[in-house]
Amino acid sequence: MTIANGLPEDAGPLAGLKVLDLSWIVAGPTVGRAMADFGASVIRVESPIRVDTARVVGPFHGDQPSVEHSGLYGNVNAGKWGLTLSLNLPEAQDIFRRLVMWADIVSESFTAGILARWQLDYQHLRELKPELIMLSSTLLGQTGPYNQVSGFGSQGAGMSGVQHLTGWPDRAPAGPFGPYTDYPAPRFALTALLAAVDHRNRTGQGVFIDQAQAEGTLQLLAPALIDYMNGGRALNRRGNDDPQMSPHGAYPCRPPEGRTESWVAIAVATDEQWRNLAGMIGSEPEQSLAERQGRQTEIEATLSDWTAQRSAGEVEATLQAVGISAHKLSTTEDAANDPQLAHRNHFRRLPHSLHGETVLEGPRYILSDTPAGPVRPAPQYGEHNAEILTDVLGLSDAEIENLAASGALS
Amino acid sequence: MLSPYRVLDLSDERGVLAGQMLADLGADVIQVEPPTGSSGRGVAPFFADHPDESIYWAAYTRGKRGVSCDLEQPRGRELFLQLVDSADFLIESSDVGRMAELGLNYDTLHERNPRLIYASISAFGQTGPKSHYVGSDLAIWAAGTPLLMTGDDDRAPIRVSQPQAWGHAAADAAGGVMLALHARHQSGMGQHVDVSAQVSAAQATLGQILAYQLGASEPERFAGGVKSRGIGFRVSAAVKNGHIVLNMAPGPAVGHFANHAVQWLVDIGALDASLLDENFRTYADRVATGDADPGLFPTIQQAMTEQVAKRTKEEMLAVSIKYDLLLVPVLTIVDLAESTQLEARDFWREIEHDDGRQVTYPGPPLKVFLNGESRAGNEGPPPSLGAAQ
Repeated sequence: MTIANGLPEDAGPLAGLKVLDLSWIVAGPTVGRAMADFGASVIRVESPIRVDTARVVGPFHGDQPSVEHSGLYGNVNAGKWGLTLSLNLPEAQDIFRRLVMWADIVSESFTAGILARWQLDYQHLRELKPELIMLSSTLLGQTGPYNQVSGFGSQGAGMSGVQHLTGWPDRAPAGPFGPYTDYPAPRFALTALLAAVDHRNRTGQGVFIDQAQAEGTLQLLAPALIDYMNGGRALNRRGNDDPQMSPHGAYPCRPPEGRTESWVAIAVATDEQWRNLAGMIGSEPEQSLAERQGRQTEIEATLSDWTAQRSAGEVEATLQAVGISAHKLSTTEDAANDPQLAHRNHFRRLPHSLHGETVLEGPRYILSDTPAGPVRPAPQYGEHNAEILTDVLGLSDAEIENLAASGALS
Repeated sequence: MLSPYRVLDLSDERGVLAGQMLADLGADVIQVEPPTGSSGRGVAPFFADHPDESIYWAAYTRGKRGVSCDLEQPRGRELFLQLVDSADFLIESSDVGRMAELGLNYDTLHERNPRLIYASISAFGQTGPKSHYVGSDLAIWAAGTPLLMTGDDDRAPIRVSQPQAWGHAAADAAGGVMLALHARHQSGMGQHVDVSAQVSAAQATLGQILAYQLGASEPERFAGGVKSRGIGFRVSAAVKNGHIVLNMAPGPAVGHFANHAVQWLVDIGALDASLLDENFRTYADRVATGDADPGLFPTIQQAMTEQVAKRTKEEMLAVSIKYDLLLVPVLTIVDLAESTQLEARDFWREIEHDDGRQVTYPGPPLKVFLNGESRAGNEGPPPSLGAAQ
């Protein structure tokens, strides 16, 4: 049975696809955001009590922390319709089941076992709706002895090996910036969900996807894992060193006014590139990779002396002009002024009822015939409760009042 | 799920994960290589017992079929174009302009097979002022902004020691072509999916790439934690046999985890039981109004640091589960290989290579169930060079 959408439909390849998004913070919401960009109707169900961590993590509008100021929350929830529901209450669970009948996809990221407690897990929901597509996404997956480990993504960096592999060999691990497992996970989930919709449309079969976010990050560490598991060595953190490139690192540059530091990334992959660079910085041009690696400290000192006299942008332009991979380490101000990101229309500005205007990122790819992007900012708390309860579920004003009185919405 | 679809995968080391993601979901993926082999076969690391064989290439071609053809020769081109006629997707990651030089760019192949979905993965995108820049893992991470945010604040910023940037971009390409497939269901036509690794890398900033434009302060790098307005918050701590990640902070979103940590510290006698009266969900607000002691939380952090240092990663994980803390061990590659969690989830795959060797691989990134039944994707060995299969 197909239920009318009830929400105004956006155009795009996913127009008409209905998504019930219970996930929170970053990994799950990013998936719903991508689907909303391309036309899906996404209802984000949010707890009115337990604050979504993305709302209290910056960057904040005007540097003023507030649950309605977070650029992170805005970036991963744009285009969605917002409903607040206290899912621990039976009245809210009833509303949720009715929304499941509306949805093609349910996406959730509760600790394994929580939804089962409310009889809202896949095993129960597929009895209501056998053709349902459901994503359950947690740090370590639905099964296994540690499936209960509560985790934000920064725990994921530890549990996926990335924390250990980011840093200097003579120091404690520095770790990546932020909750690393949240970055690869949405790509795997989005691809699988879109394949699932295609599969369901062809076969009528329902699909359940058990995602361990850490296992997504392990895909990006696969070479290191295979190496060790097949008689090789165990990779350790190694600063910026690379086994096949040298010099390879971030080197200090003359900072622009108002900043205390500036850096440029340089990656020399071939002997020819090295000869070009050596000529510029005054180093010995006839050195093999192994020789350059052997004299790394000395070469990097010479290179740093040369870069330090120049701006990062100047080094980038000079080296790229002779075919050497280089780019300044962009600040977020640099990114705002990056002509390449501007060319791709990467930053999008949308009118916002609280902030006047908000800014967020566009999609991570450009589709030539169906370009897309967010059409409305992320919902504020309960912003679309009335539309969803009235237009999607057809509740009367009296029923909504009763629901509100039960505490299910606040 | 994708068994009706065929993927022509021309990508080299820069895009090779995308096709594997589709193979893991059941698509028929044909890796197309020049007769001399892809440049990806030269990427480190190499098998300890087969030093000419790239682990990197094997890692991301598992589950694909292989064909070699010389796109610069008429016979190779003809073979390739025949494959284009029956393909749903084409994925390439060559230098921008190279496919046009070969006469195989999107416009040309779209004319031949209008339903073809054609994905291009590049460092900065197919057009624009930096489209011809030479890309690299490090330069992309720099341009996307996560690099400047990562590392010890008294040294140069650093990347992840296993290169990541191209993997993020390739994974985006897989999502992009699936969106294009749904567009094709509407229009009957394929299209060009243009992936910029710079944009993909920006995902690894937790939205901080927007900081300047939102009027927020620039993020600052801080080893083992985050720094905000000059104040560092450490989330890494040393234990007896390595390190742990530990998020312990006051505040409405995570303060209850700090409450749980206090409970543990009281239970082991490291803190006085009177501290159980403090609620760290509301503590920060009360410090701001002068109703709570700003020196209290640092005392608890200090006690926590001292106590974890006396214990192992494994002991602290058990405490974390028992008390519900935001605390996990920092796993090494060896720890991952021995992980009981991954073993219980049947994560690893033993795959027989064409030469008869059994090789251990990480399994797919997701577990898929169709009508409740577990369903595997394509899990064959990586194709040998020149083996038309």
